[in-house]
Amino acid sequence: MTKVYVGMSGGVDSSLTAALLVEQGYDVTGVYMKNWTQDMPGLRCPWADDLADAKRVAVHLGIDFEVFDFENEYKHKVVDYMIAEYRAGRTPNPDIMCNQEVKFKLFLEAALEHGADMIATGHYASTQDGKLLQAADANKDQTYFLYRVRGEALSKTLFPLGGYTKPQVRQMAEERGLTTAAKPDSQGICFVGQIGIRDFLSQYVEQVPGDIIDKQTGKKVGHHDGAIFYTLGQRHGLDVGGGLPYYVVGKDMDKNEVYVSRDLGDDSLWKHDIELHSIHWINDAPGDGEYDIRVRHRAPLVCAKLVGDTLHLDEPQRAVAAGQSIVIYSGQECLGGGIVA
Amino acid sequence: MSVYLDYAAATPLDTDILAVMQPYFTDVFYNPSSPYAPAIQVRREYEAAKAKLAQVIGAQGGEITMTAGATESINLAFGAGRGHVVTTIIEHQSVLAAAKLHEYTLVGVDKYGRVNPDDIKKSVRDDTWLVSVGLANNEIGTVQPLSKIAEVLKQIRSERVAVGNKTPIYLHTDASQGAGQLDLHTTRFGVDMMTLNAAKAYGPKQVGLLYASRAVKLTPQIVGGGQEAGLRSGTENVAGVMGMSAAFVKADGKRHGEVKRLGKLRDDLQKRLSDEFPQAVFSGHPKYRLSGHLHVSFPGVDAERLVFGLEARGVYVATGSACAANKGTRSHVLTAIGLDDKTADGSLRLSLGRGTDEQAIDQAFEAIKLEVHREIDRVAKR
Repeated sequence: MTKVYVGMSGGVDSSLTAALLVEQGYDVTGVYMKNWTQDMPGLRCPWADDLADAKRVAVHLGIDFEVFDFENEYKHKVVDYMIAEYRAGRTPNPDIMCNQEVKFKLFLEAALEHGADMIATGHYASTQDGKLLQAADANKDQTYFLYRVRGEALSKTLFPLGGYTKPQVRQMAEERGLTTAAKPDSQGICFVGQIGIRDFLSQYVEQVPGDIIDKQTGKKVGHHDGAIFYTLGQRHGLDVGGGLPYYVVGKDMDKNEVYVSRDLGDDSLWKHDIELHSIHWINDAPGDGEYDIRVRHRAPLVCAKLVGDTLHLDEPQRAVAAGQSIVIYSGQECLGGGIVA
Repeated sequence: MSVYLDYAAATPLDTDILAVMQPYFTDVFYNPSSPYAPAIQVRREYEAAKAKLAQVIGAQGGEITMTAGATESINLAFGAGRGHVVTTIIEHQSVLAAAKLHEYTLVGVDKYGRVNPDDIKKSVRDDTWLVSVGLANNEIGTVQPLSKIAEVLKQIRSERVAVGNKTPIYLHTDASQGAGQLDLHTTRFGVDMMTLNAAKAYGPKQVGLLYASRAVKLTPQIVGGGQEAGLRSGTENVAGVMGMSAAFVKADGKRHGEVKRLGKLRDDLQKRLSDEFPQAVFSGHPKYRLSGHLHVSFPGVDAERLVFGLEARGVYVATGSACAANKGTRSHVLTAIGLDDKTADGSLRLSLGRGTDEQAIDQAFEAIKLEVHREIDRVAKR
């Protein structure tokens, strides 16, 4: 019997994942990955509740359950990376890093060491011979977060939810009496729970107020609590009232200045060519050519030509910030991607 | 029908008590410090309720300070002096945390969780001003020989007088778990301070008291308008205190009957469990134990899994200790009484109360039997 270790977060997706694998005849062990346990001021970290939810489902299914403690590694590989990127004025994606470093590396390694043949998670995606394919539910497809996973890891991974939509998953969970069937989806960054990225960052970086400057006029139009809290294309959160909305069109981390514009057509908001670094291919490098790309989770696929490390877009894309990931597809297959330089 | 066996964590508010409290939220909501007649009437009723509470524990009216629960009472007690304190290794976190604000010594316990009064004596230093021993342990239900400990302190006091050591020494007890199950007479125990909590006696949560004899000089931990004779500022929680008072009067009245009834149900459950599972380990003193308390360990079984399995069958119980369980750490109490990890991790705390009857015990036993067997089988198949 194939032994599968399922990452169980205490949410409905991973709960149903475990249930489906049991029904499909696998020898299933549930694992809660303990990545983050710290409370934030005024906000209790829900990890213990999530762990209990996951374990409750495991008991219901009659499967083994373990806790893998990755707290140190998570802090170093994911949180520190994220903070450093924000400090440098970039816009990182911690979920992508978590998949690359924790779920499909540490968890996989630990599971194999414990005697597992495969791992499984509740991601909305599919695998086929080490290839990563988009989920049936285009609205929920999570391949964007998975592009930095290695093909060898995927060949040992099951994504049982790849063929279902979210409403189907909830209904199937309810039919099976899983206590997490109606649990709300987690919001925001996986480990920070309900707290926003801004509140989270402000625990780790000092807030240095600075000027918000209108790029066209060069005039100061407001002030901010720290340039790191601003992302290219951002519209909300600028305390500059009156008239048309302003958009962030750039920032200077050394000067701690944020530049804004009322012109949605501002050059810096739109990119025709995107230079990538840290390009990762799930399997073999596909070489230069025409591909579909996605500039952020749930963004529509758009056509682009890859030449070396640069993507040339047919249609310019708005608000592509340094540090953000661009994910590259060929048809249904997610090939890999890179980080905006 | 669900079966609740976690009365040591929380008791439901008695509907009679709710009825006593209700008018003070709405009709007679007055601030007892206000000068007009209806407010003065509220003040009278509030003071009368406190006097009744004093009576239940054999104290004088002026010796009681109302607080927002046991944790606050404990903080008030530990704030009454400076210097070395002595407490036991099996105290509730609220006591241990308060002790750690001072220089402290923790006294160990025997395998039943009982403190030896001689060990207390040995731990007392010349500058020890407080000894704090919980009346009954919240996890294993063991009741401490408080009168004997009070005797020891009396001795120490006379020795101090003889050598001219003017440091006073007080005995505090957190008696929260004893409400409705034990005699709470301070005079009989010889304690100087006692913490009580309404929430364990079918009264409201966030209401408690600290008894302090006239010899003790408390230092207010919360300052402001000077309520509670300056010891605990803040507008009086009139409804809460009326509730606590009525709850303690009622619990005291029902005590003898309940102790007998619960003891019988508990012993019955213990016997059935030990017949079904000869390997089961029961903790707490066989005799000096809260009558509604049953602490049982199934070595090699994961108690948390049992809790979830029982929950699915409508039976609500605690693992070793609610606080310890949430943090995923092992209970310090079980470690202190020498349970090995394998046994400690398989521990359930079953605490019975007013709503527990024979049918509830039957249902709980059947559910525990099924779930423990299910877990044993699952582990064996691996």
